[in-house]
Amino acid sequence: MTAVLEVLLWWAALTGLWLVLISTVDPLELLVGSASALAAALLARVGRRAVADR
Amino acid sequence: MSTSDGWLAAALVPLLALVPVLWRIAYGSPGDRLIGQNLTSLLAGLVLLLAAQGFHRTSYNDVALVVSVLGPTGTLIYARFLDVLPDSRLVRWTALVGVPATVLPLCVATGPGRAMAKLLLIGVLLIAGSVVTSGRGAREGVTA
Amino acid sequence: MTDVLIVVALLLVAGAATAAVLNRDPMRQALVLSFLGLALALLFTFLQAPDVALSQLAVGSAVTPLMILLTVRKVRRRPGSGDGVDKPAGRER
Repeated sequence: MTAVLEVLLWWAALTGLWLVLISTVDPLELLVGSASALAAALLARVGRRAVADR
Repeated sequence: MSTSDGWLAAALVPLLALVPVLWRIAYGSPGDRLIGQNLTSLLAGLVLLLAAQGFHRTSYNDVALVVSVLGPTGTLIYARFLDVLPDSRLVRWTALVGVPATVLPLCVATGPGRAMAKLLLIGVLLIAGSVVTSGRGAREGVTA
Repeated sequence: MTDVLIVVALLLVAGAATAAVLNRDPMRQALVLSFLGLALALLFTFLQAPDVALSQLAVGSAVTPLMILLTVRKVRRRPGSGDGVDKPAGRER
């Protein structure tokens, strides 16, 4: 449960970042952004756990 | 292409401030050089933000964004190799005074919207990077 | 006004490049080199080439000095060398 919540949180933050940084918002940008944000969110969780477990 | 001379003249201020920084990097002690490197990326970020507004090309802000990420990263890498991360009041105060003095007028000129959010993000990144690499808490960063 | 910015950036590039040549210690040269990279990026932006400036930033201000630092560290750590700088090139580890 916490895992899903954490990934969701990362995903929301990263998608927001993407939306702020691109020049024009259109559906394709949105699709690519949210997909890569999901991948990055999973990576971010893995990375955070690796640092926390050290 | 139309340019606004006011913004470009403002960009000249941090650009000229790079001249003494270059002197310090070229002739200083290792600690001085690291402070100089930190200060260079901060000032370059400010120059790029002001120049982007002066040229009326908001996409130039991307360069400033990259500087605000790469600059502090580079400083930390050098700190690792040189084994010093000096506590620099100069960098901290330049960031805390210079970045708001640059970003807030730019925000007013841009008006509300996503462009303003991006400007604020760059400003926050510049301040955060400078504070992390110049502050008292920086010592843990080297040993970790 | 653009011309003034370009001239100042050019002078900074020239000064940084000269300083990089005049500094003899590679560790110090690396820091001057990262300044040179940033100055070049500024110059490219003033010349309306932000894409070139982006790649210059990545290469000039981060990768090249890092490679120099790593190389210097590796050379200095080699056992049995005096100052380690002028080793024969083709020798194996």
